[in-house]
Amino acid sequence: MSAHNPGTELDLSWISKMQVNQPAVLRRAQQVQARRPVKKEWQAAWLLKAVTFIDLTTLSGDDTYSNIQRLCYKAKYPIREDLLKALNMHDKGVTTAAVCVYPARVCDAVKALQAASCSIPVASVATGFPAGQTHLKTRLEEIRLAVEDGATEIDVVINRTLVLTGQWEALYDEVRQFRKACGKAHLKTILATGELGSLTNVYKASMIAMMAGSDFIKTSTGKETVNATFPVAIVMLRAIRDYFWKTGNKVGFKPAGGIRSAKDSLAWLSLVKEELGDEWLTPGLFRIGASTLLSDIERQIYHHVTGRYAAYHDLPMC
Amino acid sequence: MAATSAESRAREIFTTLEYGPAPESHACALAWLDTQDRCLSHYVNGKWLKPEHRNSVPCQDPITGENLASCLLAEAEDVATAAEAARTALEDWRGLPGASRAKHLTRLAKMIQKHQRLLWTLESLVTGRAVREVRDRDVPLAQQLLQYHAIQAHTQEEALAGWEPMGVVGLIMPPTFSFLEMMWRICPALAVGCTVVVLVPPASPTPLLLAQLAGELGQFPGILNVLSGPAALGPVLASQPGVQKVAFCGAVEEGRALRRTLAGVGPELGLALGTESLLLLTEAADVDSAVEGVVDAAWSDRSPGGLRLLIQESLWDETMRRLMVRMARLRGGRGLDGAVDMGARGAAAHDLAQLYVREARSQGAQVFQAGDVPLESPFFPPTLVSDLPPASPCTQAEVPWPLVVAAPFRTAKEALALANGTPRGGSASVWSERLGQALELGYGLRMGTVWINAHSLRDPAVPTGGCKESGSSWHGGPDGLYEYLRPLGTPARLPYLSEHLNYDTFGLAVPSTLPAGPETGPSPAPPYGLFVGGRFQAPGARSSRPIQDSHSKVHGYVAEGGAKDIRGAVEAAHQAAPGWVSQPPGARAALLWALAAALERREPTLVLGLERHGVEPKTAKAEVELSVRRLRAWGARAQAQSHSLQVAELRGPVLRLREPLGVLAIVCPDEWPLLAFVSLLAPALAYGNTVVLVPSGTCPIPALEVCQDMATLLPAGLVSVVTGDRDHLARCLALHQDVQALWYFGSAQGSQFVEWASAGNLKPVWVSRGCPRAWDQEAEGAGPELELRAARTKALWLPMGD
Repeated sequence: MSAHNPGTELDLSWISKMQVNQPAVLRRAQQVQARRPVKKEWQAAWLLKAVTFIDLTTLSGDDTYSNIQRLCYKAKYPIREDLLKALNMHDKGVTTAAVCVYPARVCDAVKALQAASCSIPVASVATGFPAGQTHLKTRLEEIRLAVEDGATEIDVVINRTLVLTGQWEALYDEVRQFRKACGKAHLKTILATGELGSLTNVYKASMIAMMAGSDFIKTSTGKETVNATFPVAIVMLRAIRDYFWKTGNKVGFKPAGGIRSAKDSLAWLSLVKEELGDEWLTPGLFRIGASTLLSDIERQIYHHVTGRYAAYHDLPMC
Repeated sequence: MAATSAESRAREIFTTLEYGPAPESHACALAWLDTQDRCLSHYVNGKWLKPEHRNSVPCQDPITGENLASCLLAEAEDVATAAEAARTALEDWRGLPGASRAKHLTRLAKMIQKHQRLLWTLESLVTGRAVREVRDRDVPLAQQLLQYHAIQAHTQEEALAGWEPMGVVGLIMPPTFSFLEMMWRICPALAVGCTVVVLVPPASPTPLLLAQLAGELGQFPGILNVLSGPAALGPVLASQPGVQKVAFCGAVEEGRALRRTLAGVGPELGLALGTESLLLLTEAADVDSAVEGVVDAAWSDRSPGGLRLLIQESLWDETMRRLMVRMARLRGGRGLDGAVDMGARGAAAHDLAQLYVREARSQGAQVFQAGDVPLESPFFPPTLVSDLPPASPCTQAEVPWPLVVAAPFRTAKEALALANGTPRGGSASVWSERLGQALELGYGLRMGTVWINAHSLRDPAVPTGGCKESGSSWHGGPDGLYEYLRPLGTPARLPYLSEHLNYDTFGLAVPSTLPAGPETGPSPAPPYGLFVGGRFQAPGARSSRPIQDSHSKVHGYVAEGGAKDIRGAVEAAHQAAPGWVSQPPGARAALLWALAAALERREPTLVLGLERHGVEPKTAKAEVELSVRRLRAWGARAQAQSHSLQVAELRGPVLRLREPLGVLAIVCPDEWPLLAFVSLLAPALAYGNTVVLVPSGTCPIPALEVCQDMATLLPAGLVSVVTGDRDHLARCLALHQDVQALWYFGSAQGSQFVEWASAGNLKPVWVSRGCPRAWDQEAEGAGPELELRAARTKALWLPMGD
């Protein structure tokens, strides 16, 4: 993970004039998915790269130690060893970027990863995930406890009420406090863009979250009706670039929710490459929050290596 | 082992994350060329026409230079064969019920769907354009065009009653064009019942493929004929018997030359000229989206030409920075690679861009080039030129592909002045998040198409065209259909060319007039002088011409107007224009009605005046009454003008605005001295034009009578009436660069001159070619044709969303 984003003083002039044109962004979103097809060995390499960006996630009410353990092992061995060997990639340390769980499961994940002698970071959602409708005090305490349990990345949700009512100072202060509570852990701020009402609000919330010191901004919790979409991503990426131009600090981007196919993941990579450039294509600055995506990527790699489509039982379950 | 290198490649790509080639296989395009033995000829009357002893030119891959096929060049004889085929097919085709034509067009759409891969690979292979653009946009749009026009054909009998197809249409395409440009024009022509001969430049196989697909539908083989040959064959095509309309698209100067050549030749000429577009970026814009608009307009192989970019000064640095960053991410390369933004356009386009850049540099411009584009010709990198003020010689020329020429402006008003201050009137986009400002600019731009916060959107239902030097022909939407229709019962257009007409001297001198005897005119006599700027003025020449009545007695003298008077009248009209345009239709209607009432009061005088010229008393009374009715009717029609269209792939409306032409000059016919005058004046005013009229030459008195009322009722300069020698005045008006349109009802020679002279500013002209018109009939005197000609269309795209 790269250095922390120190944040800046709140400067509302950065957001006050901003207007995002939604139909134009929609058109751009449509184009960006069709303009950079990646084929053959490029596709294989890009897909393996995509694996290294994945925050392998399970956020279910019925999570227990056993499925967390399975998840952790899958994070360490995301692609069948023989497939990697065939691509001469077995020594590149292809693992997912992190595993992402609920706060109460952080201990399980840390334990499982230690048992696998693996240094993949554990990310925990926090602050009343997914709605964020709990008291600030308990939300802050949640962060502290997750960090104590060994989470090194905290995915917090912002308070949508503050965005929809235009209380940008209050939003800034809250995220600032999250930042402090995280200590050395990285702060990934979930904007829950499906509930922000407009792309202009998405831009403004992104900018406030970055000014308050988020290391990552993340599209959604995966629990809203609308999750990671390209138009929203374009607006967030543009905000990240504007913030970088103003402060010199690079903030990461994490789309999450609804990214299921290998083809989608390629489009996400090329979107980041087009809007921000190659520097952002590292696990330190780009993550994909997903659970089923990994198996589709593995399926595609299998096909690339063997020339056959895999049967369900050919690939280990997660 | 090959596999090993691929594997190590993956390892390397894993680190660099570079893009790889994504080639689109063009095997089927080559296979199709093989079916022609790599020798392409012409497709006429449902079969390949391979005449012997013809020269041929090679059709090359614009990037590798590889010879793909050889193409036979058509000669005059082949043009005659094709026109003959179209003429023969016309009888059956126009006679069909619209529903049957609709069915045929739908079958063609299906045919294209079945062979779309062949179509897009062939097009991309030979033109060098990015296959992504052809595949994802052009081919689907071609199908939509056929479907849209099939629907129009289906409803033709009801929706377009009172109109009939023109006949055989000749279509002339420019050296580099997309097959879509051809589709935009043949679809409406075929839909309404015309048949088409297309003259494409040598080495353009896609139109031939399309003709073959249409031909293989079996029925009606001769409706679409494609010849490849040099542009010099254009006039030959135009002079084929039966050809009623020539549609030309291409460069401005070629269009101008063709306009001159075809003066007096039979067919009507529709011009669509130039390729430059404009983007206006205000400080209230979403800049990142506007930058994408620039990419759409200039660097995505969508539009054929370059872009003029106007940026509000306060936003200049920020926009330039974002543009440059964006440019660096553009990719150029072989068009058949699915992952490139821009292909190549051949050596000629490369050299043109190169020349422009070199000249711009020598005039002190800043030139920025970026992007991942191969260095060698014919590839040309995305280029941004700045610091080139309007006065530098380079700015006068059209911006070529793939250049963007950026210039700053200070206020929205200045932006309008800069944008409208060029001879081009094609398309523009306005970027502003402030609704009021965006609409103000959108309405103010003198362009055929204006997009708000978008660029380069197209839809079959939306008319696309232009004004000023971009030509005034239309394709798409209702306007596209009217291009190939004429009012029911209009006689076929025949050549009326007078070989001996000397354009240099026609109407140059005014024969001098001497006192011709005592005046026997009405008492009180109408005021003497030219009606210019709202009052009667003495003519610049300070001389008069006698007007005789039906008994050859001098009825009176009218002023002898000349070039200076025309200049004054046009100036006055321009001054009155802003005020008149901003009047709501209701106010225009009220004025026309007031004028009608005044005419009613003046009826006895007018009737007397007409009787003096040999009109039967009863007829004279009827003429005055009908004139009054016409004024009222056009006043009422002024109310309903614009309407909105709904199009696919866009949330929000597209407004089809009917805007005034500007200063409209009208040379009235000699016959029906009052009725024709009023019938022409009324629609012109109703649609917001300001007018300079030349009244009937033999009987100008009634028009001057009306002027007395206009002097008190209408704003000064809105209407000017100049009497005098008709040839001379027509010459002055036709050659005037600041007259925006001209209607000429007079001699064949005069019509020919007007057509020839209109090439100067490419003003739309409507000439009578010496044929009389039944002004007392509703269809000819007040029909929808007048409505169509009295205004120009503008499509205003208003995407919505939050």
